[in-house]
Amino acid sequence: MKSETAIDPKIMEEIIKFNKNVMDAPSHVAAPDEIVLEVTPHDVVQKMDKTRLLHYKPLTDKQHKTPLIISYALINRYHILDLQPEKSWVRNLVEQGFDVYMLDWGSPTAMDKYLDFDDYVNGYLDSSVEYIKNEASVEKVSLQGYCTGATLATAYTTLHPESVKNYIATAPVIDGWRDTTVISNLAKNMDVDKMVETIGNMPPEFMYYCFSVLKPFEQGIEKYVKFFKNIDNKKFVDNFLRVEKWLSDTPPIPGELFKQWIKDIYQDNLLIQNKMYVNNSHIDLKKIDMPIFTQVAVGDHLVSPECSMPLHYAVGSQDKTLRMYPTGHVGMIASSLSQKKVLPELGQWLLERS
Amino acid sequence: MSSKPQALGSTGPMRAFAANSKKVSTELIEINESLLEFNKFVTEYYKQLAETWNDAQKKVNLKAPEVPQDVEQIDAFKRIWIDIFDNDFTELFDSKKFGANYGKLVSKELELTKHWNNITNVILQSVNLPSKEEIDEVYKELHSLKKRVVKLEIEAKKKKDVKKNEK
Repeated sequence: MKSETAIDPKIMEEIIKFNKNVMDAPSHVAAPDEIVLEVTPHDVVQKMDKTRLLHYKPLTDKQHKTPLIISYALINRYHILDLQPEKSWVRNLVEQGFDVYMLDWGSPTAMDKYLDFDDYVNGYLDSSVEYIKNEASVEKVSLQGYCTGATLATAYTTLHPESVKNYIATAPVIDGWRDTTVISNLAKNMDVDKMVETIGNMPPEFMYYCFSVLKPFEQGIEKYVKFFKNIDNKKFVDNFLRVEKWLSDTPPIPGELFKQWIKDIYQDNLLIQNKMYVNNSHIDLKKIDMPIFTQVAVGDHLVSPECSMPLHYAVGSQDKTLRMYPTGHVGMIASSLSQKKVLPELGQWLLERS
Repeated sequence: MSSKPQALGSTGPMRAFAANSKKVSTELIEINESLLEFNKFVTEYYKQLAETWNDAQKKVNLKAPEVPQDVEQIDAFKRIWIDIFDNDFTELFDSKKFGANYGKLVSKELELTKHWNNITNVILQSVNLPSKEEIDEVYKELHSLKKRVVKLEIEAKKKKDVKKNEK
């Protein structure tokens, strides 16, 4: 006699299969240290304190004249732009004939707590741009800033417009008051003076907490269920582990830099109001008068479009382009959409101006 | 002057030990006060999480009144559950009440850390090691020296270039 509460055999089958996948996982999964995140060949051409300037080796016979330097974010490492060949932002640009440099901010330690906006903008970024200008014998470079790296790049572009031929702002953190993300809510309520005074640098653990409150159930449950369901899919597993390794590698942010970033961007919102200063130099967005390309992701839950888009309207440039993509913060730079849509558009835009 | 008769009762480094004990005791008392405040905010934090969880679960129950009996329905149920929970929790994390309480909670946590640092400093100084403040001063000095060196290097390079151009 069939019981009315009997479980569908298919459900049992699914549960058994899922359990088997969990048990089999160790044999399919590489150890984190076996995963190499940098895939495009490059040289380290300059080191300054803990920062490194990477120069990617050309993959085409001819290269466009104006080199491109990427100012990556302060959160996590630059590897997401070169995580795997078929989704590599860097590789795509190199294959399009661009001469690409990347500024790796490194991992600051306790002794770097006094590094501030001035050190990052007028020190590391300026020194890298000067190096590239000398090396490539050019007067100006193209500059791309991503996320918080775009906040630094924006400040740099206003202070050194003579060195920037084209500026690309990808998901830039600009207007903190308009930002509708959970991150901005936490940042606005943070006693950042006390944090820096007490613990020095912004610890990675705080960033991990911030990540954990972003879609906690999708990211904390469904993501791992999908992983175990696809444990036999080598490509899926490899991609998953690369992203996980990247996510778990967040360096601390130097205290003074973090303090000014939180106060000037999220709490007092000085940048978009043209009231921000870096080492007594005024950051006037109207001074950005070169061609500018602003890239925004509609589904960005780390930097909302409302936070990024005001840059497009605040700059002094006549030649300005704003593109919105139907993806998220990471999807804009490391996905099939970025390869098929975002990068070809950027490449074309740069090509016309390089 | 008035401490002189009292000093007669203590001998040599033991006087420092007595002073250190007093500092540590003061910090411990203050830690207790901070801990009470911290507990207030941490309780509110978990209360907010629990209330949001309960509300979200009620919404899920309304949307999916029957226990699913096949694989497709289980997946659909899971999707509803995740969407509702993610929406409700994001709404909470976006709210002013969460932001304000979380800010205070972290602030109190930092106060506890500060007391702990102060106790560690007393211990470090008692064994003739530099305190956190003293190390910070060294870091600050290093940072400022590095900046000066870079500035001087740039000026020297400019002068060198000018001389080169003159030749």
